[in-house]
Amino acid sequence: MIRFENIKKSFGKTIAVDGISFEIEPHEVFGLLGPNGAGKTTTVNMTVGLVKPDSGTVEFAGLGFPKNPKVRTKIGVAPQTLSLYDELSGQENLECFGKLYGLNSGKLQQRVAWSLDFVGLTERKDDRVKAYSGGMKRRLNLAVALVHNPDYLILDEPTVGVDPQSRNAIFENIERLKKNGCTIIYTTHYMEEAQRLCDRVGILDKGKLLALDTVDVLIKKHGGNSAIIIEKDDGEQKIETQNPIEEIIKLQKETKLSGFRLLNPSLETVFLNLTGRTLRD
Amino acid sequence: MKSIWILAIKDLRILLRDKSGFFFTFFYPILIAVFFGVIFSGSGGGSRPTKSALSVYVIDEDNTDISKKFVETLSKSEDLELTPISLEKAQEEVRLGNKAAYILIKKGYGKARENMFTSSSPAVEIGIDPARRAEAYLLTGLLLQYGAQDLQKAFTDRNLMRKQIKTSLRQLPKNESNTLSDFLSSMDTYLADTASSADNGSGGFKGFEPLKVEEKEIIRQRIGPPSSFAVTFPQGVMWGIIACITTFAVSLISERNKGTLTRLLTGPLKSYQILGSKALACFLTTISVSIFIMMIGVFVFGVKPASYLKLGIGLIIVSGSFVGLMMLLSVISKSERSASGIGWAVLMVFAMIGGGMLPLFFMPDWLKALSNISPIKWGILALEGAIWRDFTFSELLQPYLILTAFGLVTFIIGARLFRWSEQS
Repeated sequence: MIRFENIKKSFGKTIAVDGISFEIEPHEVFGLLGPNGAGKTTTVNMTVGLVKPDSGTVEFAGLGFPKNPKVRTKIGVAPQTLSLYDELSGQENLECFGKLYGLNSGKLQQRVAWSLDFVGLTERKDDRVKAYSGGMKRRLNLAVALVHNPDYLILDEPTVGVDPQSRNAIFENIERLKKNGCTIIYTTHYMEEAQRLCDRVGILDKGKLLALDTVDVLIKKHGGNSAIIIEKDDGEQKIETQNPIEEIIKLQKETKLSGFRLLNPSLETVFLNLTGRTLRD
Repeated sequence: MKSIWILAIKDLRILLRDKSGFFFTFFYPILIAVFFGVIFSGSGGGSRPTKSALSVYVIDEDNTDISKKFVETLSKSEDLELTPISLEKAQEEVRLGNKAAYILIKKGYGKARENMFTSSSPAVEIGIDPARRAEAYLLTGLLLQYGAQDLQKAFTDRNLMRKQIKTSLRQLPKNESNTLSDFLSSMDTYLADTASSADNGSGGFKGFEPLKVEEKEIIRQRIGPPSSFAVTFPQGVMWGIIACITTFAVSLISERNKGTLTRLLTGPLKSYQILGSKALACFLTTISVSIFIMMIGVFVFGVKPASYLKLGIGLIIVSGSFVGLMMLLSVISKSERSASGIGWAVLMVFAMIGGGMLPLFFMPDWLKALSNISPIKWGILALEGAIWRDFTFSELLQPYLILTAFGLVTFIIGARLFRWSEQS
C-alpha cells in the first residue's frame, strides 16, 4: 500500500499539489486523471522521491519513504519523457538499468530476455534505440521499468505520441501485469484509458483531488444521467434519464421512433460536472 | 562503486559510438598540435641570435697593453659585440644562455705576443655550449682573423719587432750559440740598418700560429623548448581536455533533458553516485586522450619529455582538475546548446590567455600576468615543466596545487548546484 498524507508542493507562487490524501491498495491499477498542469507528474515525482513535498508524507507501507534505496528497488518508473540511451541498443539499455538495480549476470540475462519478450522487441534487441519508431521506444521505456521485476509500477502518460497499434500493445501489457499482481499507478489525461485500465481513479485539477473511487461509482456519483438522442423528422431531441432502457421502451410506445442514440456518462462528464470544464480545456 | 563503474562504462560506450564526438575528442587536438607545431617551427625552438653581431662576454685576465689592444681591436669589429665581465659571471651567464659565449684572454697573452720567436702562441679561451657549433666556428674564425691582424701589425712595427727580437735573444740560453741566435742578431742588425729607409711593409715572418684558440665547453641550461612540437603537444593535450569536458558537460545535460537522469534518480542510486560516474567517465576519457596525444607527440613528432614520471603525474593532475569544471558547466547550462556554447566560450578565453594558442614564452609581460587566472596556463606549465622546462618537483608544486585547488573548488560547487537543482 502507498499512503499519501496531506501532501503539498509549490514551485514559487504556483501551487502544484494542494494537500491531497489517499491510499493506493496493493495489486490495483490506480489512475490519476486530470488535464495538463493538474499536478499528476508532481504527485508521481513525490511518489518516487524525485521531489520532496513541502509538507505531508508519502509512504510505502512496510517499506518506508521513497528516498530509501530499498524502496526504490521495488519501484519501476516509466517517465513521460522517453528515458533511453539512443546510442545503445535495446538490450544494452535494459542491461545497464538492470545492473544498476543489482541484477547479476544469470538473473540479468533472464530478466532482459523476459522484458524484451514482454514488450515484443526481442527481434529488434540489437538495434540501436535511435533506429526505433516512437511506439517501439515507448514499449522499451516500459520494459526498462520492468526489468528488475518491481512490485510497484509507475507509468506517467505512457501512451503519449503512440500509434494505435502500440497503444493497444501497451494496454495489453498493463492488463497482463495487473493479472500478475503488480500495483500500478497510471497517470493520463485520456479518460478512455483510465476507464479501460484502472480499478480506481483519482481526479486531479489545479493540485486538488476532486474525487476518488472506482470508475463506476465516480460515474454514478458525478456523471449525471444518461442521455437519449431521439432522431425525428424535424430534428433531434435530447432526453436525460436515470434509466435509459425504460425510457426508450416508453418512447417506443408513445411515438414512432425513426432512430435514437444513447449517451452514457463517462469520466469526461464526471470531470465536466466536477470542474465545469472538459479535460482538454 | 559498482554503480559508478556501470554508469561510467555506459558513458564511455556512448562516447565511442558518437563518431563526431570521438573525432573532436581524440583527433582534432592532434591536428591542432601538429598545425601549430609546423607554424611555430620557424620561430620557436630555442633562442637564436637576433643581431648579425655575435654577442659575447670578454675577460682580459692578462691585462697588459698588448691584451688591451687586442680587446680594443675586437671591440671595433662589427662582427662582435663585447661585454666585459668576470670569468665566473661569464661562465654562469653562458650556461644560462644569456649570451652565446665568452672570450677569455689568458694570462701571458701579452708576453707570448712579445716572445713570439721563442715561446708558444698567445692563447685565448672561448667558453661555449657544445651544441652551438655554428657560433663556435664563427667565433674561432673571427678570433683567428683578428689574431692574425694583430700579428701582422707586430711584424710591420719595426720597434715592436726589435723589442720582440731582443726579448727573445735574452731568453735564449747563453751557452747555446745556435743558428736562431745568429739569425736573430742578424735580423736585428738588418732592422736597425734599414730603420731610416721607407717602411714598405714587406718585413715579416710567415709560419707562426697567430693565435691559439682553446675551446671550453659550457653546457647550457635549456631555457627554450627543443622543438616547436614540445610546445604544441602540451597545448594539444589542453585542447583535448577542453573537448572532453565540453562533451561530458553536454552529456549530463542531455541526460537531464532526455529523462534518463530522472530514471537514474528514481533508481536505487544516490546523486553522488551519478555525479561520480560522470566524473569518472570524464576523467578516464581526459586521461586517455591526454596519453594518446602525448604518445603521438613522442613517437611520431619526436617530443622527448625530460621526465616521464613528472609527465605522468602532470597528465593525471591536469586531467583530474578539469573534471570539476565539466561538472560546473553542466549545472549552469540549461541545454546542450548552451553548455556547448558556454563551454567553448569560457574555455576559449582561458585557452587564449593561458597559452593554448600563443605559447606562454612568446607572451608579453602583461599577458603573462593575466594568464595566471587561466587553468589552461597551469595545465600547460605542469606539462611543459615535465617535457622541456626541466622543472624540479618543488617548481612543479605550484601548478599542481593550483590545478588541484581549481578542480576541487569547481567540483564542489558543481556538485552542490547539481544537488540543489535536482531537489528543487
